[in-house]
Amino acid sequence: MNLAVLGSVLLGGLAALDAVPLGQTMLSQPLVTATLVGLLWVDWHTAIEVGVVLQLIAASTLPVGARTPEDYASGGVIGASVALALATQQPYALAREASALLGSLAGLASAVAGVPLIRWQRRRNEGLSRWCEAELRRGQGGALAAAQWAGVAFAFAVGVAVTSVGLALGVWALGPLVAHESLRLSRAWTLAQPLWIGLGLAQVMNAFFQRRLARAAVFGFALIGAWLVLIVGGR
Amino acid sequence: MAPLRRRDLWRMAFRAALLQATFNYERQQGIGWAWALEPALARFYPDPALRRERLAEHTAYFNTQPTLASLALGAVARLEERRAAGEGPDAEAIARVKSVLGSSAAALGDPLFWFTLRPFAAGLGVLLAPAGPVQGALALWLCYNIVHLGVRMLGVGWGYRLGPAVLGDPLRHRLTLLTRWLGVLGAGLTGVIVATMLVPGGVPRPIVFQVCLLAGLGVGLVGAQRGRPSPTEWALGVGALCLLSTVFH
Repeated sequence: MNLAVLGSVLLGGLAALDAVPLGQTMLSQPLVTATLVGLLWVDWHTAIEVGVVLQLIAASTLPVGARTPEDYASGGVIGASVALALATQQPYALAREASALLGSLAGLASAVAGVPLIRWQRRRNEGLSRWCEAELRRGQGGALAAAQWAGVAFAFAVGVAVTSVGLALGVWALGPLVAHESLRLSRAWTLAQPLWIGLGLAQVMNAFFQRRLARAAVFGFALIGAWLVLIVGGR
Repeated sequence: MAPLRRRDLWRMAFRAALLQATFNYERQQGIGWAWALEPALARFYPDPALRRERLAEHTAYFNTQPTLASLALGAVARLEERRAAGEGPDAEAIARVKSVLGSSAAALGDPLFWFTLRPFAAGLGVLLAPAGPVQGALALWLCYNIVHLGVRMLGVGWGYRLGPAVLGDPLRHRLTLLTRWLGVLGAGLTGVIVATMLVPGGVPRPIVFQVCLLAGLGVGLVGAQRGRPSPTEWALGVGALCLLSTVFH
């Protein structure tokens, strides 16, 4: 378990790097991070349930313009890690659903709470960029590399710190809830999971449709076609 | 003066991955841009003092869609080559071209990468996620990165070869077409996802699941017409309601 915790915390740092400072290869997307967390904790089923929910809601969270998007890099890792840490503490299957619900909520809350942190990071980087230009003009050719690597190290450290705090807080605050209220929580999961999936899919549909009737028609045909294939093929 | 070698172009492409390492509200990608352009400037300006002066100019404000920034990098490297040879634009003209290239790349890149390819890759990942432990994540990652890493790695070379014309009509037409067809495919993919959510493996889900999924879709479609509350805030509200409903059950 200790290795899984350590791995999750480091993954939080790597996801924070991938989200903006390094690469933007979608390693930071909740489905990818939840899968990696699931492999670390050896429970991919619960991890993917949380990952799918967070991924669908994150899919429409876009880093465009002046808007600071929700921090799903840390949110995805924290959500899946909290769910798996809670699930491993209980021997019952019901507790897995309760853990998935609380993990998803922890992930969503962390994503929202991460926005002021991202803003703070960007304001700190303003000082770094001013320093870099001044050093360059003063004749220090290495200032660019120093500023770049300082930015990377800073983002990684913030990612690791946020994931550690989120995981510790989540397990400490939500552990007793899973232990005593797993039946109620698993009922809540049966309602919340489809509602969240529906909410997320609606955002994705909106991104694709863009109020074009032809695309809505493609959606309808695909839905009916796939439904018929599944029903007929399933029998 | 020797033109950029293939090795220089690769170094610029790899450095473009750090375009947003010091992303901030004042200069946005400015420092990352200068860092990515450094291998080209090192080739064109053997005098370190002059090179540092040029680098300092490039730390000014710059912002665009990060994948297509590679094309702009290559194009500006071509301009800097002409400037170093004494036949090209001055600092002001390069700043103007940079600004135009940044806006054009964002206008093409945002709809393709953020509004279409990212949700498409996410949808593909979600569709394949129940198939096994890594299938969904792998599909998402590969689907996005075949285009993203391909353009990032090769884009610097294209930009350098064609100069500022790289973001002209032919590329614009191709990217717009790709965005349009990916949008149509995405609409179909979403239909398939909804069907597999309702009847996975041909077995219908419980009626509560189906009703809640449709309710979520309805609320989400209405909510998507307004900027606020954000989808995450909607999801938090829905989660809190579900928790409350079980408390009073």
